Amino acid sequence: MSRLEKASAGAVALMALAGAAIFFYAPTDFLQGAVQRIFYLHVSSAIAAYGCFAVVLLGGAIFLRTENYAADRWARAGALVGVVFTTVTLVMGMLWAKKVWGAFWVWDARLTSTLVLWIIYAGYLLVRRLTEPGRQAARLAAVVGIFGFVDVPVVHFSVTWWVTHHPGPVIINDALPPQMLATFLFTMLCTLVLAAVMITIRYRIETLMDLKQLVPSPVQVVITREPGGVAGPVQ
Amino acid sequence: MSMVVANGLTHRFGGELALDGVDLVLDTGEHMAVLGDNGAGKTTLLRILATALRPTSGRLQIAGLDAFRERRRLRHYIGYVAHNPGLYPALSAAENLEFFCDLQDVSRSRVPEALEMLGLGSVAHRRASLLSRGMQQRLAIARAILHEPRLLIFDEPDASLDADAAELLGLVMKDRTAVIATHDHALANRLCPRTLVLRHGRSLGTATHLRVVR
Amino acid sequence: MNPFRAAIAVARKDLVSEWRTREMVPALAQFVVLALLIGNFGFQIDSRNAPSIAPGILWLALVFAGLIAFGRTFAAEREQSSLEAMLMTPASPVAIFAGKALAASVLLILCEVVLLPALWLFFGTPVSAGVVLAVILATIGMASLGCLFAAIVARVRARELLLPLLTLPLWIPFIIAGGQAVQSAMGLPGSYDQAIGLLIDFDILFVVLTSLAARFVLDE
Repeated sequence: MSRLEKASAGAVALMALAGAAIFFYAPTDFLQGAVQRIFYLHVSSAIAAYGCFAVVLLGGAIFLRTENYAADRWARAGALVGVVFTTVTLVMGMLWAKKVWGAFWVWDARLTSTLVLWIIYAGYLLVRRLTEPGRQAARLAAVVGIFGFVDVPVVHFSVTWWVTHHPGPVIINDALPPQMLATFLFTMLCTLVLAAVMITIRYRIETLMDLKQLVPSPVQVVITREPGGVAGPVQ
Repeated sequence: MSMVVANGLTHRFGGELALDGVDLVLDTGEHMAVLGDNGAGKTTLLRILATALRPTSGRLQIAGLDAFRERRRLRHYIGYVAHNPGLYPALSAAENLEFFCDLQDVSRSRVPEALEMLGLGSVAHRRASLLSRGMQQRLAIARAILHEPRLLIFDEPDASLDADAAELLGLVMKDRTAVIATHDHALANRLCPRTLVLRHGRSLGTATHLRVVR
Repeated sequence: MNPFRAAIAVARKDLVSEWRTREMVPALAQFVVLALLIGNFGFQIDSRNAPSIAPGILWLALVFAGLIAFGRTFAAEREQSSLEAMLMTPASPVAIFAGKALAASVLLILCEVVLLPALWLFFGTPVSAGVVLAVILATIGMASLGCLFAAIVARVRARELLLPLLTLPLWIPFIIAGGQAVQSAMGLPGSYDQAIGLLIDFDILFVVLTSLAARFVLDE
C-alpha cells in the first residue's frame, strides 16, 4: 500500500469513528432532537472548506510571486475539494433548516455568504476548465481565487449588516455540553484530516495531468530538408 | 554588437510545442527573414522576440538587456507589427497614431511624418475602418515606428501590401535591426541578407541567402 | 511616463470611438427601458408598492447593463487585437486598465441618465440626489471589478458565460449597500448614511485591489 493509500484508509476510518461518536456518543439535543446531530459535520465541513479556500488563496499568491507551478496545483486541488465541502455544508444546512426553521432556505447572513462562496469557487473551477492550461490560465485563476477569498468576508459583513436592518433568524449556540463539544472537536479534526488527504490526492492527480501535458507528444517530428535545399548562397 | 541574442527559446501552448529550442544571434543593423509553413512557429517566435509573449523556457537578450526582466524599458526599442493590424476602426488614421503617441510618450508631431513616410498622407483623416486592407497594414507599420525603435519585428507585413511593399519595407527598415516573418521567398531575398527557416517549431538553421526552388 | 496621461488617453480613445459609432449607449439605454417594462409586467406595480419594488428593478437593470458594458470593452479590443498593440507600449498595464474602466463607467453612467428618469416616469418613485449618489458610487466599484473580470474572461473561450458567473457574486456587496441606500432614499426604513459610508468603503477596497491585480491580468 502506498503512503497515499494508507492515508486515505486512515481518513476513512477516522470519519467512521466520527460518525460513531455523532450517533452513539453525543447526547440527543433537548430542543431540536436528532436533527441537531447534523451540526457536527455541517460546521466541520464549513471549516474544512474555508481551509481549502485558504490553500487556493495561498497557492495563487505564491504562484503570482514565484511562478512555481506546484503552488498552482495546490490551488487547483484546494478549489475542487473546497467546493465539495461547501456543497456538503450547504446541503446539510438546508436539511437542518427544513426541520428546525421549517424552510430549506432562509436569507440569513451565513447562508447567503456560503452560497456566494460556493458560486465563486465553482466559477474558479469553470475558469480552469475554460482556459488553455499554462502560465496565463494559472495567473488568471490566481486572481479569481484571491478576489474570491477577499469577497467572502465582505459579503458576510454586508449581509450581516443588512440582516440586522431586517431582523431575521439568528443562530446562537449557547455553551455546548462537554460531550457535544468533544464530539464536535473530534469530528472537526477528522474532517480536516479528510480534507488534507483529499487535497493531497488531488494534487497528485493534477501533477500527473500536468506531466502528461508537458511531455512532448509522441508524434515523431521529422526534420527533412526539402529538395533543392533551404541553405546555400544564391548564385 | 549583437542586438538580439536568443538561447533555446521554447514555447508550449497547453500541450502543443510551438517553438522548440531556437537559438539566434542578430547583429545590430542586420535584417533577417523568418520563413516557414503555417504553424511552423513563426508568429510565436516573433511575439517572443517582441517581448509580447514569454517563452516557456529559454533566454533572450535584446540590446544587452534581459528581455523579460527589463521588458518595460525595452518597449522603447521595439516596434512590433502583428499579423492583425489592431487598429481602432472608429478613429481616423491620424487619431490612431496620435493615441499611440500618447501611450509611447512621444510628441504627436511625429504623426504627419510617419503617415507621409508610408504614403498615407492623403488619407490621414479617413476612418481606419474605411481604409483598404493594405492601407491598414501600412498604418500599423506607421504606428510601430512612431517611437523610432531600433528593432523592428514584422509578422507577415507583405500579406496585404501591394506591389511596392518591398520598397516601403526597405525604407522603414533602413538603419534598423529587423526581423520579418513571411511566406514570400522573393521578398525575403530582396530585403534580408539572412534567412531563418522554421519547421515544426525548430530552426533548420539560418542561411545567408535562399535559393528558391518552388 | 505619466500613468494618468496614459489612462486619460485610453479613456478618451474609447469615448471618442463610442461617440462616433454610438453603439453602446443607445443599446444599453434601450435595454434598461426594456428591463423596466418587464419589471412592470412581472410585479403588478402600483403607487403603493412602487417604492419597495422599484429599487430592485433598478439594480437588476443596472447589473445586467453593466455586464454588457464591461464585457464589451475588452472583447472589442481583443477582436481587433488592438489590446496587444497597447500593451506593447511602455504605458503601464494598470494605467491602460484604469482608462478602460473609466470609459466603461462613463458609458454606464450615461445609461443611468436614461434609467433613473425612466424609473421616475414609469413608477412614480422619487429620484432624489440621494438615489443618484448611491447609484454612481456603486457604479465606480462595479466598474473596477467588472472591467477586471472582463479582461480576465476576454482570453477565455466562453466569455459570455463566465463574465456574469465571476462578476455577479463579487458585486453583491455593492448591491446590498446600494440597494439599501436607494430604498431609504425612496422613503423605506433604513439608514441612508450608513449605506453610503459602506459603498464608499467598498469602492476604496475594490479600486485598490483591482489596480493591484490589473498587472497580472493584462501582462502576458
